Amino acid sequence: MQANINWLDNPEVFRVNQLPAHSDHPFFRDYREWQKQHSSYQQSLNGKWKFHFSANPMDRPQDFYQRDFDSSNFDSIPVPSEIELSNYTQNQYINVLFPWEGKIFRRPAYALDPNDHEEGSFSKGADNTVGSYLKRFDLSSALIGKDVHIKFEGVEQAMYVWLNGHFVGYAEDSFTPSEFDLTPYIQDKDNLLAVEVFKHSTASWLEDQDMFRFSGIFRSVELLGIPATHLMDMDLKPRVADNYQDGIFNLKLHFIGKKAGSFHLLVKDIKGHTLLEKNEDIKENVQINNEKFENVHLWNNHDPYLYQLLIEVYDEQQNLLELIPFQFGFRRIEISPEKVVLLNGKRLIINGVNRHEWDAKRGRSITMSDMTTDINTFKENNINAVRTCHYPNQIPWYYLCDQNGIYVMAENNLESHGTWQKMGKIEPSDNVPGSIPQWKEAVIDRARNNYETFKNHTSILFWSLGNESYAGDNIIAMNEFYKSHDDTRLVHYEGVVHRPELKDKISDVESCMYLPPKKVEEYLQNDPPKPFMECEYMHDMGNSDGGMGSYIKLLDKYPQYFGGFIWDFIDQALLVHDEISGHDVLRYGGDFDDRHSDYEFSGDGLMFADRTPKPAMQEVRYYYGLHK
Amino acid sequence: MDYTNNQLHIIYGDATFGVNGKDFQYIFSYERGGLESLKVHGKEWLYRVPTPTFWRATTDNDRGSGFNLKAAQWLGADMFTKCTDIHLKVDGHDFAELPIAPFNNKFSNHEYAKSAEISFTYQTLTTPATNAKIIYNIDDVGHIKVTMRYYGKKGLPPLPVIGIRLIMPTAATGFDYEGLSGETYPDRMAGAKEGKFHIDGLPVTEYLVPQENGMHMQTKKLTINRETTQNNVDRTNEKFSLSIQQAEKPFNFSCLPYTAEELENATHIEELPLVRRTVLVIAGAVRGVGGIDSWGTDVESAYHINPELDHEFSFILN
Repeated sequence: MQANINWLDNPEVFRVNQLPAHSDHPFFRDYREWQKQHSSYQQSLNGKWKFHFSANPMDRPQDFYQRDFDSSNFDSIPVPSEIELSNYTQNQYINVLFPWEGKIFRRPAYALDPNDHEEGSFSKGADNTVGSYLKRFDLSSALIGKDVHIKFEGVEQAMYVWLNGHFVGYAEDSFTPSEFDLTPYIQDKDNLLAVEVFKHSTASWLEDQDMFRFSGIFRSVELLGIPATHLMDMDLKPRVADNYQDGIFNLKLHFIGKKAGSFHLLVKDIKGHTLLEKNEDIKENVQINNEKFENVHLWNNHDPYLYQLLIEVYDEQQNLLELIPFQFGFRRIEISPEKVVLLNGKRLIINGVNRHEWDAKRGRSITMSDMTTDINTFKENNINAVRTCHYPNQIPWYYLCDQNGIYVMAENNLESHGTWQKMGKIEPSDNVPGSIPQWKEAVIDRARNNYETFKNHTSILFWSLGNESYAGDNIIAMNEFYKSHDDTRLVHYEGVVHRPELKDKISDVESCMYLPPKKVEEYLQNDPPKPFMECEYMHDMGNSDGGMGSYIKLLDKYPQYFGGFIWDFIDQALLVHDEISGHDVLRYGGDFDDRHSDYEFSGDGLMFADRTPKPAMQEVRYYYGLHK
Repeated sequence: MDYTNNQLHIIYGDATFGVNGKDFQYIFSYERGGLESLKVHGKEWLYRVPTPTFWRATTDNDRGSGFNLKAAQWLGADMFTKCTDIHLKVDGHDFAELPIAPFNNKFSNHEYAKSAEISFTYQTLTTPATNAKIIYNIDDVGHIKVTMRYYGKKGLPPLPVIGIRLIMPTAATGFDYEGLSGETYPDRMAGAKEGKFHIDGLPVTEYLVPQENGMHMQTKKLTINRETTQNNVDRTNEKFSLSIQQAEKPFNFSCLPYTAEELENATHIEELPLVRRTVLVIAGAVRGVGGIDSWGTDVESAYHINPELDHEFSFILN
């Protein structure tokens, strides 16, 4: 198969040759590797890559992926990083409108006319910058002779991949992993990986988040050596029984490769006591159903108790092929007949924040240190919940939330407000995904990627369908996807408020954003059909966060109110050197001559962009401490 | 001269009213319309006469809700001050006219009193106009009780702040206060702890766009520490301090190196001028900062300042 640039224009093409999304569990060669937290099955490709920047697709070096291409004039760029932050192209911050506002007229394919393909919209887009990345690598010894996958954890926004001159695949959905099988073309030595990254594609209509608009390979890239038999996916459903004491353990395993041999499964508690042990032969699909654990230690924010699952995979000669460790907790979320959200049978209160991934120097290419710092800030300030606005986060974040008892609203990578919010008015004539058939699979795929990747994380209590994308058949289909795959969590979507007739088909909870306290109370006083929350509230732009008490008071009055997520956790601002003052200073939208812009609206955090807390944090710590 | 007898030495000048005592010297200027010199232990504490202040550098929420457009007249009233009346009272005696020449020819350099009160009336540059009065009451040991009285009037635009702005000649090295931790506003005080706090320097909270910051609500006592003066013969660089105490009720203050106008004019922190002075605002009424949203919703009404009502507050300089 050959790559086709017209895929950029076609909302029906969003993944080509990509492996199916699957659980994010790690796998190690043996116990020693687990202890050292280093898997020899994984080979990082992070570091310096060769790089060429093109202002638009017409100017790009089309045959750069071929082995005989002369790349001697290429630059180098760090992977992971944002292309803009290496100063190849302009930084731009814009909120609702699309980044091409005032420069290029575009409409989403099929939005106004079912026959209008909008061909060339992006494949010939004058603003569609291109990064051509090359990486030469040898396989590490542990990967030689194995099937080899490549995993891109995050690439904005559309990418084509080649290995040794052969086309490998195509991916969109910037914020979930894209995995491809390199086995047919891999060599032990001197492999040439080529990745072509486009800033825009039809995905741009779905990724109109309120943020600096970056592009590039901004999260880690790694090779995965696949053992002869390999656990590709596991679906862990630890339930809490109706007595709120006992656990019911369910697990589905999906193996690939030879699918021969056996596995040894253990579940241990923190003290190392084995609660469950299984030895079974490997088949493609294995299920462990309804194993009862009496008197389990339940997981919650105060006591994020995790059990240790270990799966040892053996070949037919009893050689250990891989070890899969995974920690999980028992917790149960549900809505009572009185419309109160319950966690483990007790009322749940969300003391939450929305969190963009942000680093003042690295943009969205954040580091482990950023993540651990944020978790500590949460704990110091009684923040017990996070909404991953408005895209899935880096994989380690979910593990940190499991371990630290942070309740997660795991949001899809979806925000299309520029297609229906026009200067503050609701005008959905060119809305996508809407009910347009050609946009349906793309958004279901985003739901699937989010679900399949993160489904085993105890911390996730809510799936969120996305942000500010209006509502129609395709959002209904996303809701149905989650409902048909997961009965252990609630589904959240705010945008249905604009189509109230769809409320019985979308979202388990009534969610609003920035609804003033009096309006919240009006909803709660009128026999609410669903529990109520604010997915965004207390807009923390500049000197703000006054009047929080008016919201918190309602928690005492109305059990159906279960709190909200402050907008937002950290300012989006970039640390740059100011030649006039000689200081390193924080810059916001419009400071890079970027127009059209929404200027300082990029900074709405409880934290400054350099991760110092704003003065308002003491107020948050107090109010969030009242319903810990 | 011996000042041990708890008497104020009064100087009935030709353009000023001077009050001297042991270790202090105050000069009220009839021309400048206010307290021109507050000299304590030989150190000058004033750069220009204190004036009423009605503006705060608008917050993102102020701009988002259009409050800046509604309140804009107060910016002019804050920058430009029109003193329309001065009234003097010494030991309870009301002067019908200011005691300048030839009236003061009858006085000597040996005039003493137990108390003095001088008030300055300022007409606001708003439509309609209203008055604000700053009254200085000096007791026999030289403590000054400062009172500001704002006269409400129907039809005035909503108010950002009501306070007195004192600008000091050099930057403070820090300040100590007894009140609430952190930066507080009427609608953002619940999380603050009561206590005594020391602040190094004159920190400006580095909001992306410079704006109102550094307010401290419900303060009982404030001490500002400096080490430098503009006096060409004073090169000591030793710490000296001025204390402000609550009168009947606690006061609110911010102590920054910039005026509201300087903050308002900057779009980034690095555009602010070099730090060279201390701008102390003692505020009687502070508008909340809000936070429901930043694009239309106003601060909750309980935290507005009603411009149609009278407001009065006091504090003591010593």
